[in-house]
Amino acid sequence: MPTKFKLTTAKGLKSEIYVPITPKPVWTPLTKPLSECKVAFITSGGIHKKDQTPFNTAGDWSYREIPSDTPSDELMVTHGGFDNSDINKDVNAMLPIDRLRELVKEGFIGSLVPTFFGFMGGGGNVDKFEHVTGPEIAKKLKAEGADIVLATGGCGTCHRSCTLVLRCCEAEGMSTCIIAALPPIARQQGAPRITAPLVPIGSNAGEPNNPQMQMGILKDTLNAMEEFDHFGQMKALPYEYRHNV
Amino acid sequence: MSLSQETLEAHLNDPAVLCCRRPAGTVLSAADFEDPTIFPDLVDSNLMTLKEGGLTIKQALGATLINDGEALTQLTPELLDGIAADEPEPAESEPAEPEPSDSAEPADESSCCCSAAPAPAPAVTTSDGYVHLHLDKAEGLDLSFPVGAVSGAPVPPAAPVAPAPAPAEPEDETPADRVLRTLVKKDYPVTKVVLGDATSYADGVLTIDKSLVEAAKKADPLVKDVTMEVIDPSDRHVYSNTIMDVIPVAAKAEGKLGEGVTNVLSGAVFVLTGMDEAGVQVHEFGSCEGYMDEKIRYGRPGCPDENDIMIRVDVKIEKGTGMERRGPFAAHSAVDVIVHACREAIKDLSGVKPVKEETFKDVRRSGKPRVVLVKEIMGQGAMHDNLLVPSEPCGVKGGQKNVDLGNVPVVLSPNEVLDGGIHALACIGPATKEITRHFFREPMVEALQTDEELDLTGVVFIGSPQVNDEKTFVSERLGALIEAMEVDGAIVTTEGFGNNHIDFSENIAAIGSRGVPVVGVTFAAYQGQLVVGNKYMDAMIELNKDPEGFENEILADNTTTPEDAARAILMLKTKMAGIPIEPAEHKWDESVIEANKKLV
Repeated sequence: MPTKFKLTTAKGLKSEIYVPITPKPVWTPLTKPLSECKVAFITSGGIHKKDQTPFNTAGDWSYREIPSDTPSDELMVTHGGFDNSDINKDVNAMLPIDRLRELVKEGFIGSLVPTFFGFMGGGGNVDKFEHVTGPEIAKKLKAEGADIVLATGGCGTCHRSCTLVLRCCEAEGMSTCIIAALPPIARQQGAPRITAPLVPIGSNAGEPNNPQMQMGILKDTLNAMEEFDHFGQMKALPYEYRHNV
Repeated sequence: MSLSQETLEAHLNDPAVLCCRRPAGTVLSAADFEDPTIFPDLVDSNLMTLKEGGLTIKQALGATLINDGEALTQLTPELLDGIAADEPEPAESEPAEPEPSDSAEPADESSCCCSAAPAPAPAVTTSDGYVHLHLDKAEGLDLSFPVGAVSGAPVPPAAPVAPAPAPAEPEDETPADRVLRTLVKKDYPVTKVVLGDATSYADGVLTIDKSLVEAAKKADPLVKDVTMEVIDPSDRHVYSNTIMDVIPVAAKAEGKLGEGVTNVLSGAVFVLTGMDEAGVQVHEFGSCEGYMDEKIRYGRPGCPDENDIMIRVDVKIEKGTGMERRGPFAAHSAVDVIVHACREAIKDLSGVKPVKEETFKDVRRSGKPRVVLVKEIMGQGAMHDNLLVPSEPCGVKGGQKNVDLGNVPVVLSPNEVLDGGIHALACIGPATKEITRHFFREPMVEALQTDEELDLTGVVFIGSPQVNDEKTFVSERLGALIEAMEVDGAIVTTEGFGNNHIDFSENIAAIGSRGVPVVGVTFAAYQGQLVVGNKYMDAMIELNKDPEGFENEILADNTTTPEDAARAILMLKTKMAGIPIEPAEHKWDESVIEANKKLV
């Protein structure tokens, strides 16, 4: 068309209104009390079992199934996007698997799904996460009866990849929440629910070897899920941890 | 978020920031940079700061990190080894497409006229017609090869790049414009309005029968009281209930709506104001009750003009019905009884000479780009309703309510719009609402209709429904309509802000996703900033006129003016011509609007 018509034009025109690009809302309300909920946890922070193939740190949309009864010392991280030292000290800083089992024991939540999922979302291929990895994980979690899917991101792109997968889970009929170190990215990418403790990427679920903080973040997140009543809400959590690498 | 090669190209001049932690010795490539499009969010949330003196991505590309770098570290010269020297920018990069209005200029010669050969032999491939050079290490690299040599054909090194053939300018055969219908608006002056015993118009004096007030009270059982008074331009410091509408007196003298002759009284307009029996203003988001000299932006297309006499009709409706559809409709029905009597008085003015005649033509300009104007109107119920194509200009009777039509897109011809084809019940914020007089002299319609470079196909009115899935339904119908119309460009406007911006973005997407260049026009500024959006909303016109960017409760302040229309049309033409529209600033910035105005 450009060459077809004679039109008065101008160079240097600028769009006058800022447009936030967020995807459309996706929402599954939480209808059960927490104590009856079956909870899943996924992370895009590169966690896998030590006997599984490590992720390709240049970009990888595959995932690893992590049985929810895996002892935490059998887990490790493969991720090039942030300092790994905190996770190396305590994997619960990214995947709080010990805390989740304690929550079941306490009766705070009903149970855990048999399988958690780890993937490496850094530089993640949007199309693959949205159309392949996300739907696959969502289907498997749904089949395992998950009511709630909690998640941690990792780096910036990890938050995006993680949000894409959570949106698939939400669309599949589970209530999800990301514990975000980079909440603006989660929000921009359309996370249904967001909680935001003040934590660095690399210890998104709380300070390593600080079970109290990790537990607090999880409980506050679960409580917030009962309060959130529509898509896209975010709650800042009163936990602060800084690490100097 | 690392960058792909493609996004990298678009951001070479943006600040270089590490996306993720990178160890010392990393040679920076696309995968190492954060995506600059999310910087504003990162800065806003204090996750990152951008300082002066940082490197651009172009400068940092290929350089080596001296120390380990954390995610979201802005790259500065002291952090890197081997920073690329800045090449002088070619002045004003030309758009990729040849300019449609001028003869094509020769394509930018990428002159590679350097000397000396690189030390290590680079890998060169040409299978896809491009020269690909891969260098593991490049120091003091100079390249020199004749243009065209890679194909093997002997080309003299100095051969100039052949200018791209001029776009085949269509021979100006100018197919004759086809006039579909003609409307003449004859203006008759009003210098005085008198409340008397019978309704008549003669010698510039409009006399209105006082007893019409009683008839107006019977227009609807919800109407509890009606008062009428004349407000002269010299005496406007009068307190008023919120202004629900401004209605011109216009009557068909010949033909039906959109064609023939319409007699219009100039110099006097009806102003409908109202509250309910409990004293609640009939308004929704914002109310403009107050002194009429302060609460009206005189001269806006929808408003009384500076010297207009206002005939104020104040209607009191049943308690609690102000926010139900039937309440505001009752008030509009009441005022229409009085306006209609005035119409009857000016239907036949043969023998009286109008002071002005305006001719409007619905024209099919074959060979010109086909454009459509999509006007989003409110359709959520209460006063968020409009009457489409009433029997008389700006009337109530005979109009179809867009809410009852399910808010689906309805096409009006430009002439039908300008002949009072919309009676607006809309009572969204007063500053952003488009009221009945606005449509009667809609600046975007007038400008598009008379623009000889464009073929305006029609004006689509689409309602903004209350329910989310209905919003999607009507937007999708709009998309299908646009597809069937085979237009080359579209402008989408909306009054108001808030939930209707969901429709606004969906409507723009319905058009843009079909490959049709589209410009969006709305009030956003500070108070109405968009909460949703999509990638098709990349050419937007801001209607705000309030210094603070608010819905300021001054009637029609933030509605479309001829100036806004001119910007929108220029932006559309520019976008249709393939010339890039620069992305918006992250926040409302009046200077952007001022700069655009200078380009018109």
